[in-house]
Amino acid sequence: MKILTTVKKVVDVELTIRIADGAIVEDGLQYVINAWDENAVEASVQLKENNGAETTLVSIGGGDNTDIIRKCYAMGIENGIHIEDPALEKADSSIYAKVLQKVYEKGDYDLVITGKQAQDTDSGQTGIMLAEYLGLPCVSNVIAIEVIDEQHVKVSRLGDAGTERVELELPAVVTVSDSINEPRLPAMRGVMMAKKKKIEVMDLAALGTSPEEVGGGAPKSEVVEFMASKTRQSGQKFEGNAADITTRVVDLLVNEAKVL
Amino acid sequence: MAKILVVADIKQGELKSSTAELLSKARAIGAETAVVAVGSNMSSLTPDLVNAGSDTQYMADDPGLELFSAGPFASCVVDAAKQFNANLIWFGFSESGKAAAPRVAAQLEAACATEITDVVIDGEQIEIVRPAIANKVMQRVKVNTGQLVAVVRAGAFEAADGVTGTENIVTLSPPPSDLKAVIKELVSDASGEIDLADADIVISIGRGAKDQAGVDLVKELANDLNAGFGSSRAMVDGGFMAHNKQVGQTGKIVAPSLYMAIGISGAIQHLAGMNGSKVILAVNKDPEAPIFNVADYGIVGDLFEVVPILREEIKKVRS
Ligand SMILES: Cc1cc2nc3c(=O)[nH]c(=O)nc-3n(C[C@H](O)[C@H](O)[C@H](O)COP(=O)(O)OP(=O)(O)OC[C@H]3O[C@@H](n4cnc5c(N)ncnc54)[C@H](O)[C@@H]3O)c2cc1C
Repeated sequence: MKILTTVKKVVDVELTIRIADGAIVEDGLQYVINAWDENAVEASVQLKENNGAETTLVSIGGGDNTDIIRKCYAMGIENGIHIEDPALEKADSSIYAKVLQKVYEKGDYDLVITGKQAQDTDSGQTGIMLAEYLGLPCVSNVIAIEVIDEQHVKVSRLGDAGTERVELELPAVVTVSDSINEPRLPAMRGVMMAKKKKIEVMDLAALGTSPEEVGGGAPKSEVVEFMASKTRQSGQKFEGNAADITTRVVDLLVNEAKVL
Repeated sequence: MAKILVVADIKQGELKSSTAELLSKARAIGAETAVVAVGSNMSSLTPDLVNAGSDTQYMADDPGLELFSAGPFASCVVDAAKQFNANLIWFGFSESGKAAAPRVAAQLEAACATEITDVVIDGEQIEIVRPAIANKVMQRVKVNTGQLVAVVRAGAFEAADGVTGTENIVTLSPPPSDLKAVIKELVSDASGEIDLADADIVISIGRGAKDQAGVDLVKELANDLNAGFGSSRAMVDGGFMAHNKQVGQTGKIVAPSLYMAIGISGAIQHLAGMNGSKVILAVNKDPEAPIFNVADYGIVGDLFEVVPILREEIKKVRS
């Protein structure tokens, strides 16, 4: 089985994000691998270990992605492709999906695993659109993948009515939730080995496509302004005798907040 | 005039409140409205769909659509969108919506936006507002196509009073089923429990509740108040709470009038699911826990001591 995993470099969401003049202030930001993509990498490596598979990752944009790609190598991914092109600067999900389509078509993959969304946009569209463009079956928000045979996997998805168990005919695309696994910490040996591995860096031309073909110059939507989100003010915090402060808070909930 | 197609949010045979909320917003904008309902055995839902504020009802009612499958679901929405000539297609916040919206957008070659909280239509130009980066920022997004498929964030729009629509049913032909993604089994969520999304009060527990005894303790409080009983991811991972109880970025987004966070630290991924609540009460033994930064009322203390008192005091004032 050949597995393609997508990996995006995103801003570290744990750090403070500042906004000035409608844009995010670059100063002080740090970049990391998208958490859900880390779940996708872990899922791919587990399939490799348990069922035998060849694992490839692709990362689009982000500038120097050496660190995050090496981290995935250290986790067990075997091949890495990095697509970097100035025409992708304003890419929306649909453009990412079209680029991924090209990557997929070059590689003859059986299964594509993406994170269910990227932490910088929280959009959750790219993997599903990729499947749509390729005409492949797709299940999103997946929490388990089980190989049935060469042509089929069974996945569990968290849906609105419960856990759905879906049999997918390969090739297929799945997008995974963080509930699927706990990404491993790479072992020291893996980290050392990862440094020696090659990363295949390509622009759109090398990929056999063009900005026009993937819609590069014409995103269907674009962010025109970033704004601070409404922050909640911290309210009244009570410390001391549990009975006293709890009684006081119940009184406030009833008479001040009027929610009880 | 804008034409807005709202995808009906139906769960266990019932129309969820988001449908009326989205239709109310559509009417407030002055748009022409339609709803598309996908499922099986839905004839009894027609009055609800009309009363929610739709002027046309596209019905894809077929036994083959009983279990959710994103492909056929999206096909029905695309069919309705084409017939109605919709320039905005709105899904309520649900896993089905999140799964189907990108498919619909790809098929229509429309723009797609998830978790929108506002929309501004100025002639042909559509702009939306949405959170990003775990709710840390808001984005204003310009739509460059004339058509937008969007998932509306839970609690973004309110249902207006006195809204109603007109009955005008259009029957859609059932789509082919997806033979390459076959649903084999649905392990249903426990029925009879209060849906977190609908609850007026939600009480959630975190790792601080420690074990089953802690879960049971807080659950009694939730039962007393007829509240939704939610969880942080830690207690879901620990196997104490079901997946569908998780509040946060990966789980449910709730905006009740009162949210109680019991033994929850307040990680951003959790906050992203509940910081739209009207009033937040936090109980945590660590006075520095980040949850206190968003809580209107904070009790610093051991939940095993505080929760029983909370129950007693609430009982007193309620009787
Ligand atoms: C991609 C991604 C998605 C995620 N999505 C979600 C999500 O949707 N929802 C979610 O909740 N998390 C999510 N998480 C996980 C999140 O980052 C936190 O790990 C999680 O929310 C922590 O849960 P917690 O607050 O219960 O546990 P902890 O962070 O361990 O906090 C436990 C708290 O309990 C307090 N406590 C302990 N004992 C007591 C006591 N006796 N009395 C009172 N207080 C006590 C402690 O002081 C502490 O503050 C996600 C993480 C990632 C990476």
